[in-house]
Amino acid sequence: MSLNFTLPITKESGYFEIRLESIGGLGANLCGKMLGELGALYLKLNALSFSSYGSEKRGSPVKSHIRWCSPDKFLRLCSPVVKPDMLGIFHEALLKNYPLLADATEHTCIVLHTNLSSENAAKTYHISRGTLFCIPALEIAMAEKSRINMVMLGALTAALGFVPLEMAEQLCKNTVGKKYPQLIEANLNGLHRGYEHIRKQAPFICSPDAAAVNSDINTDNKPPFTWGYKNAPIGGINPRIGSTVSNDLSASREGYIPLFIKDRCINCGLCDSACPDFVFQFLPGTYKDRNCMVNMGPDYTHCKGCLRCVEVCPTNALVTALEKDYPKKPYDQPNKDLLTSQFSYTEHGADASITGESYLTEKQVGGGVL
Amino acid sequence: MEKQKILYESGNELAAYAAKQINYHVMGYYPITPSTQIAENLDSMRAEGLCDTVLIAAEGEHSAAGICYGASAAGGRVFNATSANGLLYALEQFPVQSGTRFPMVMNVACRTVSGPLCIKGDHSDIMYLLNAGWIILFAYTPQMVYDFNILGLKLAEKVNLPVAIAFDGFFTSHQKQKCEVFEEDTVVQTFIGEKHAAYSLLNLEEPITIGSYMNEPDVMNNRYQLHLAMDTARNILPSLFAEYAALSGRAYAPIEGYKQEDAEVILVLLGSAFNTAKEAVDLLREEDIKAGAVTLTALRPFPKTLINYFPSAKIIIVCDRQDSYGAEGGNLSIEVRSAIYRKTRAHVLTRIYGLGGKDFFVEDIIAMVKDALLPRAAVFAYYGITEGSDGEKQPTYFAPLTEEEQSPGITVCNYDGEAKKMIVTGGKLADTTAMPIRIAPGHGACPGCGIPVNLNLLLKGIEGNVVVLFQTGCGMIITTGYPKTAFRIPYIHNLFQNGAATLSGVEAVYNELKRRGEYPEGDITFLMISGDGGMDIGMGSAIGTALRSQHVILFEYDNGGYMNTGYQLSYSTPLGARSSTSHLGKAQYGKTFFHKDTPEIMAATHIPYVATVAESNPADFIKKAAKAAAYSRDFGTAYIKALSACPLNWSDKPNLERNVIAAAVDCCYFPLYEVEQGITTLNYDPSVKNKKIPVTDWLAMMGRTKHLAKAEYASIAAEIQAEVDRRFERLKARANHPLL
Repeated sequence: MSLNFTLPITKESGYFEIRLESIGGLGANLCGKMLGELGALYLKLNALSFSSYGSEKRGSPVKSHIRWCSPDKFLRLCSPVVKPDMLGIFHEALLKNYPLLADATEHTCIVLHTNLSSENAAKTYHISRGTLFCIPALEIAMAEKSRINMVMLGALTAALGFVPLEMAEQLCKNTVGKKYPQLIEANLNGLHRGYEHIRKQAPFICSPDAAAVNSDINTDNKPPFTWGYKNAPIGGINPRIGSTVSNDLSASREGYIPLFIKDRCINCGLCDSACPDFVFQFLPGTYKDRNCMVNMGPDYTHCKGCLRCVEVCPTNALVTALEKDYPKKPYDQPNKDLLTSQFSYTEHGADASITGESYLTEKQVGGGVL
Repeated sequence: MEKQKILYESGNELAAYAAKQINYHVMGYYPITPSTQIAENLDSMRAEGLCDTVLIAAEGEHSAAGICYGASAAGGRVFNATSANGLLYALEQFPVQSGTRFPMVMNVACRTVSGPLCIKGDHSDIMYLLNAGWIILFAYTPQMVYDFNILGLKLAEKVNLPVAIAFDGFFTSHQKQKCEVFEEDTVVQTFIGEKHAAYSLLNLEEPITIGSYMNEPDVMNNRYQLHLAMDTARNILPSLFAEYAALSGRAYAPIEGYKQEDAEVILVLLGSAFNTAKEAVDLLREEDIKAGAVTLTALRPFPKTLINYFPSAKIIIVCDRQDSYGAEGGNLSIEVRSAIYRKTRAHVLTRIYGLGGKDFFVEDIIAMVKDALLPRAAVFAYYGITEGSDGEKQPTYFAPLTEEEQSPGITVCNYDGEAKKMIVTGGKLADTTAMPIRIAPGHGACPGCGIPVNLNLLLKGIEGNVVVLFQTGCGMIITTGYPKTAFRIPYIHNLFQNGAATLSGVEAVYNELKRRGEYPEGDITFLMISGDGGMDIGMGSAIGTALRSQHVILFEYDNGGYMNTGYQLSYSTPLGARSSTSHLGKAQYGKTFFHKDTPEIMAATHIPYVATVAESNPADFIKKAAKAAAYSRDFGTAYIKALSACPLNWSDKPNLERNVIAAAVDCCYFPLYEVEQGITTLNYDPSVKNKKIPVTDWLAMMGRTKHLAKAEYASIAAEIQAEVDRRFERLKARANHPLL
């Protein structure tokens, strides 16, 4: 397929740059790789892509960087994309915690996964610059049994304006279809719906009137504590024992929590023996008139929702529940050993596999590929 | 020019692609980030029948280098890939390879050398290779990785020297770019030519001795021959580049410059930063700063013409992505300074940048240059360091645990001298919830991970003070991500070929301090935690510790693979299991050899206590932990192994992991037993409890092995079943014998 188009270059550097902002588990990595391929092999541009190195685990913020330039220009930059021409946001909650839009300009095209309308999204997230498209990617993905990344790929290619649907489909067929022929139908449908959804939408031009940029970002005057060469203990030594306790791992849960039903609990300790995250708080007490250790409940801050405890509980004192049904969790217990509650938690994703690569790069999940 | 096709690939993928086209005889390797994908991709292509290369996953880089040495001495074409401490671990072997003059190619995806462990890129590893007698080519784009892999082998075989192809870890190894490869593998093979080994161990008609014992003056002469070979390599490299350019249309040179002819300030950098510098040079020139950039694509042999690249230079900024601490420069600085000594009046400055993979932006280079232009600019400086900020006071989350708190008396051991048994009382699971948690929550293990579960059960059974050592692995990565740590008790990490030895040193000094009265009364249990990977590469160190019977516990969580680097096969991976270095394909069925029986190896060292544990039998687990602690304190080394679930790489459901572990026990793949002072006790026999299941029932529970339950893999499954049964029967026979 040959195509006549002009890459909309607005920067002096001559590069067209895309950055995807996501959390692990949504498939932004594969989407980024496919956008790179789109540039190199379909649009016949020079192209480069890479993901933030490290894990693509559920919950951890991940970025994917794509850089294009005309085929006669040598692609020399390998640093992360700082000023994106296109910004794909796979997970809108990131907007609350990270300054994703700090480097957006009036030329930035933003594709945001949200159920909000563009106008409302711009208001809610104080998006004051750039062109905004919104897409309910999860809803579409679920309806089509596809994944968010394919819907977003459709949306991003549509928002580019010069990529015909057939080209995006071909890309999807060649990359996903060859490996997972049984999934191609569903993924093509997801891509198609994503593409059409954007095409039918009038671009929303964001303006500074909406609100100050990112006023939600914590601009507390107190500088955060950081270790540098003047104040860090030598040798990388870390005297701050147990400090991972200040990590909040709630984002690792996939919609389910173990719900504790205390009257059923026989305090056998099996849940504690099966929990990888040390969440159960046992304190000395009485059970059936006997002095013993008593389960007071889990500390949900550290619960990653693996539901191992539900599986081992002999009395159904722990059952699987939908997290959304319990905005306030009964028996949510803070860690009993903490000396203070005067600290703020940092959102954290599971990060076991630091370089999970080839075997995991593409993983079939449900009806899609991540 | 030969016909080429366009691919969109990374440096690692292209190194593997070139290796596929060359069709090496052997690749001896040990997976280490960020070079791992090279072996993974080559294995994947082999599984599809696209090449014949025999891939040998060694048990460590030192052995990998040994495999390569043997294979090349035997006349094979040989390939390797490594990074960072892997390169250093094998370092001893590299002068052997070059000194006895056997060519091969090794890719080095450059990464910072630990410790504090970091997986990201810089040049601190490759600079250790400068004195090893290897040719070192440095590729700064993925395309160059491909091209250098092809012409590098030709160069190696022309001068009988090994060649390292270095490139930036992650920046070049992982970034995908549009690139070109030869359409036909034969083009590559013809360019390199037939392999004509100067000498081969397998030439039976002309038997030779390789590796003579040699003294002076012969050693001097041997080294001089190597020096001459480097000279030859330097001389032929330009023509080889030209020959390759005719074939590919891509021209290279040992030194490359960018707008350096009239430049007054010149940056010298290696690797991907050279391209970044070109962008900066263009921008600086817009501000009327006459900047230029120079890079070396050959570090060894070092080109003689470097001075020609600085005709107008007033300031030369050498950017080092590593430091030769105390030398006021990294190795690039040292070499550039000596190469241009007394040949220029330019002022040479050194800037250390981008260590540990710190991003290096165009803006950084511009700032660096502008700073260098200021009067009295420092000759040597680190660029991009931060002072730190005291800011808001950090809370103390936990108080240190006292010996009393850690000794609630829930699980107690008493030694029965007559029966020669450690008798455990207590240890009831419900009661052990009172044990203080020595590892804080908030760590980054995957949902459902077995490692923290096993650590928790282990530590529940060990009363009193505990000092832990972790070998590199998931367990370490998830708990100690700086600036946080999960540990509430003293913790030390060492690289996984050396944890047991390190803990031996800790234990030795503890006992000596106590003997001298320099340490307070009390007791400490010393505990090493390792994955099965650590027990592969660290087997020697563990056996040494056991043979000395040091007073430590060696605990192994076995998840059957190198999980924190993306699941490469370990020696404990089941036969037939797929992993990222044992793919399934039409030419390959997964891992090709049986799982390692580490408890038997450790039992053969005659240490006082060896045991296997599983989370599915928690009471048994806790008691064995208590026993191991008692034996380690009073008798000598104790070794415990747990089968540990990995939902991510086993591809199964996190919530069901305890059932999967139970199935491994019930099919006798992972029998629960202990060897106490040489006497074997089988703690659980599934057939007695009517719970025995076929091994395929267990294998079918995991994505990595479920194919083995299919009819087409029946013969592999039968082999596994037979081996599991054989091992279990031997175990039972020992358990039934009063002496064994």
